[in-house]
This record gives sequence, C-alpha cells and structure tokens, in this order.
Amino acid sequence: MRTWVEKVIADKKRVAMPVMTHPGIELIGKSVLQAITDGEVHHQAIMALNEKYPSAASTVIMDLTVEAEAFGAKIIFNDDEIATVNGSMLKDELDIETLEVPDLNEGRVQEYLKANRLTAEKITDKPVFAGCIGPFSLAGRLYDMSEMLMLPYLNPDAAIQLLDKCTEFIYTYCQALKDTGVSGVIMAEPAAGLLDDDTCQAFSSDFIKRIVNAVQDDYFAVILHDCGNKGNCTKATVSVGAMGYHFGNAIDLPTAAKEVPADALVMGNLDPSGLFRMGTPETMKSATLTLLDKMKAFPNFILSSGCDTPPHSPFANIDAFYEALDEYNANL
Amino acid sequence: MEDILEKIALCVENGKINAKSPYPPTMRGQDGADELTEQALAQGISPTDVLTKGLIVGMEKIGVRFRDNQVFVPQVLMSAKAMSTGMAHLNKYFNDGSVQRKGKFIIGTVEGDLHDIGKNLVKMMVEGNGYEIIDLGVDSNADKFIAAIEANPGACVGMSALLTTTMANMKVINKAIKEKHPEVKTFVGGAPVSEAFANEIGADFYTDGPQQLVEKLDSLIA
Repeated sequence: MRTWVEKVIADKKRVAMPVMTHPGIELIGKSVLQAITDGEVHHQAIMALNEKYPSAASTVIMDLTVEAEAFGAKIIFNDDEIATVNGSMLKDELDIETLEVPDLNEGRVQEYLKANRLTAEKITDKPVFAGCIGPFSLAGRLYDMSEMLMLPYLNPDAAIQLLDKCTEFIYTYCQALKDTGVSGVIMAEPAAGLLDDDTCQAFSSDFIKRIVNAVQDDYFAVILHDCGNKGNCTKATVSVGAMGYHFGNAIDLPTAAKEVPADALVMGNLDPSGLFRMGTPETMKSATLTLLDKMKAFPNFILSSGCDTPPHSPFANIDAFYEALDEYNANL
Repeated sequence: MEDILEKIALCVENGKINAKSPYPPTMRGQDGADELTEQALAQGISPTDVLTKGLIVGMEKIGVRFRDNQVFVPQVLMSAKAMSTGMAHLNKYFNDGSVQRKGKFIIGTVEGDLHDIGKNLVKMMVEGNGYEIIDLGVDSNADKFIAAIEANPGACVGMSALLTTTMANMKVINKAIKEKHPEVKTFVGGAPVSEAFANEIGADFYTDGPQQLVEKLDSLIA
C-alpha cells in the first residue's frame, strides 16, 4: 500500500475513489437489506460497480451499525436504506463499567469479513478498502450520541473507559479485516468532527492512533474519514499517522489539505446528497472540475465523494463525475 | 436581584449545570443553574424574570456563539442541560399559567427516518429560548403532525430529515399541513436539506442551524 500511495502522489494524472456501493447494489437488483446482511450479495455489488466504473480502489459499504450491533445495540433494518442504531444500550456509567467487549462472532461481523475476503480474492489489480467505525462514533452509538458528546467534560474517566472498550473491539476487527487480504480500512469517525480540536485529540485521535500503530504497515493502510469536521479539528485528525485522510463536504478541502502531511493522501469531498443524489449531470460535472482545479497544488489528492453516496444516486451523475475526471486529465 | 440573574445566565451560557458538575473547570465548586434558580425563586424574584432575564439570556448567548463557530455541539448540549435543570424549578409556574412561554413549536423527524441528533439539538435550543416544545420524536407522518397542530393552535412546525430517501416525505407532510392549515408556518432542516428544496416543496422556511431558526421564530412573534 505504501508503494501505491507513493505512485498516486507521483503520478500527475488524478485518480478517483468515490465511497460508493449503493449503485452496485442497484446494478445487481438487490436491496440494501440483502447487501448488509449477506456477505456474498455485498461482494457481488462491489464487483458489479468495479466492472462499471474505473475507481482507483474498491470500497465496501459504509455501515456504521455493524460494530454497535456486535456490542448488543438494537438495530433497525430497512429494505432500501442503511440500518440505524435504535436508542442507546448504555444508560449510565455503571453500564459502561460492566460492558463486555464482544468477539467477532456477534451480529453481522462475519458477513462483513466474508464480503471483504471474497472481494480481496477477486480484485487484485487495485486496492480494496474495508470499512469500520471510529471509537468515538461507536461510543456515541452505544451511550447515546448527545450524552457521549458531553461525557468527556462531565465524566472524562467514564468516557475513557468506554473508548478503551470500543478501541479494543475495533482493533480486533481491523486485524481480522487485514487477515481477509484487503489493502486497508476506511475508518469513519464523523462524530469526532463535532468536537473542538483538543477534545478530538484526547477522546478520538489518541485512541485511533493506537489502532493505526497496531495494524498499519507497508501493506495495509488506514484511511481516516471524518465528514463531521468543518475545520475545527483538522489538526487532531491528521495527528493519527494514517496513510490517508478522507474529508466531508462541510470543509474547505484546500485549507484542510495544507494540514495533511505531504506523504499521506487527501481525499474528498464532493457533496454526496446535493450532487451525487440530487444534482444533475451538469452540476456534478461542474463541481467536480472546480474541485479538481482547486486541488491542483496538492499531488496527494484523490478525487472522492464527501461521504458514502446515498441509495438511488442517478448513474448519469456518476458518469458525469468520471467524465469530468477524464476531461481534467486530458487537459494536463 | 440583577446579580443572581446574571449568574444564572452565566451558568447557562457556560454549561454549569449544578455545584457537583466539574464543567467548566473555571467554575468548579461554584453553584450552577440548578442551585441559583432555586435561590432566585426563594429570594422572591418572579419566575418570569428568572426565565427571561436569567435562563433565556444564557441560551441566547450560547446560540450566538455556536452560530459564529466559537463553541461546538457539546458546549451547546451542556448549556441546554443547565437550562433544563433550571427550568425544572419553573415547571409549576408554567403549569399554573403564571409564567408564559413565547409560543409553541412542534418538531419531529419525518416518516421513515429514525435520526434525532439534529432534531434534538434544535429542540433544546428552541426550548431554551422560551418556547414550549411538542416533540413528535422520530418517524412522524403527516397525521401525527396534523394532530399536534390541531391540539396546539398557533404553533409553528419543524420537520427534520437526515436521509435523502426520507426528505422526500417532507413534501408529503408539508402538503398535507398546508392543505388543512395553510396559516401554519413550516420549517425544514437537516443535512441533505437546502433552501432550494424548501422552496420546491412549499415549506415556509429553511434554516441552516438552530440559532437561525430561533431568530426566525422570534421575528414571527415580534
């Protein structure tokens, strides 16, 4: 992976890697529910998308309920929409204290490992990125997001205890993902973007850094995704030592890119809802060209969506995204 | 009198809930909104003054700081918690009618959508600025909104959605509301929602954050 990153940075031509699996699910005529509960269907969706579009890397579904479900959180499933955590399973600090870290046989973890393993076996000419949640965002799904946002200030010891348990599970999960043969993992930590820089550092980045140090090597990359950050915690975000940073559309990407180390990738950040889902081919193409132009000064930039592209994003818009990339590269 | 009301406002603005709360570190060991509200009422200060010159002032200040990116969501949540702790002492005055709120606001996440972080943040800010909240929770359909409107004449309505698939339901709900109660002012908000979308579906207002919504509500009742 280190070699791939260096190659991307050295190449003058831009590449794209949208975080996108829903169009693949639609291509094979399956429902979101089928894809997130059956690793084989999930894998087929990634393959279909891989055949249709020239993404520089393949990504799996950004499903931020898998880890919470493994801990025992109640999940609401929907045929046509990504699953949601229902309520909070931890009611107070005592619940945090007695919370047990689950093994990888709980919930849908094995189905996700299967999807990654099958895809890594089949796609060998480009990286395949698995997905997982970040510790602070997982803690928010277990303890209630509003309560978790206050816990670092009101009871920092309890917050750390919960984050330690979340980190332990995510580390084990990442290690298992690495064992499937994928090239890396995109870790989604959107809730940390709601914190100020110091709090983000102490209650998110320091925990992520532990996972990065344990699983990242020349053959396995961690890409940290934080679409909640509006520029308030970029310094903390880029301190984790990941091989890449993926930003959401709420941030000014050139400003954020200045804070990213030159040997790490900067990815983002076209609006998944406003452009991919609800835009037109014209607005999509225009916004893509504008972003490519704005990011000219950053060799470490990979064109991407700002988050997972929603279900029912028109294919014409995705086509326009790639057309813009081709047009930009043709004029270099 | 002014002194204790200023202290209450300061506690709310800084998220100082009660004496036990360690936050903010600069106010450690001091009384919070909880104790000070109780003390103010015991001193004979009118509940209306406690509300309008103390608690609401603090929420207004934190709302402006949030809008201006000087503080972040956790700070607003702690202010809202301090506010609600103080408000608990005023409940009996609300119930007997001796303290009036500015107005009523019905809020809910629309049908098919179970996300409530944004909705709850708006709810806390609007409540903290002196409005009575009728919270419909998540997954709320048109019938639920209309029943709430009919039970609360004069209320404004806020609809929230996080998903592109569920924001389409805002159009259905807004249409149903406007057909039955065209006088009701409707607000829409949420990550995928925009001003253009609000115009397209015929909602009266789109606001980009809770403070904007509070300012718009205040202008409607002014």
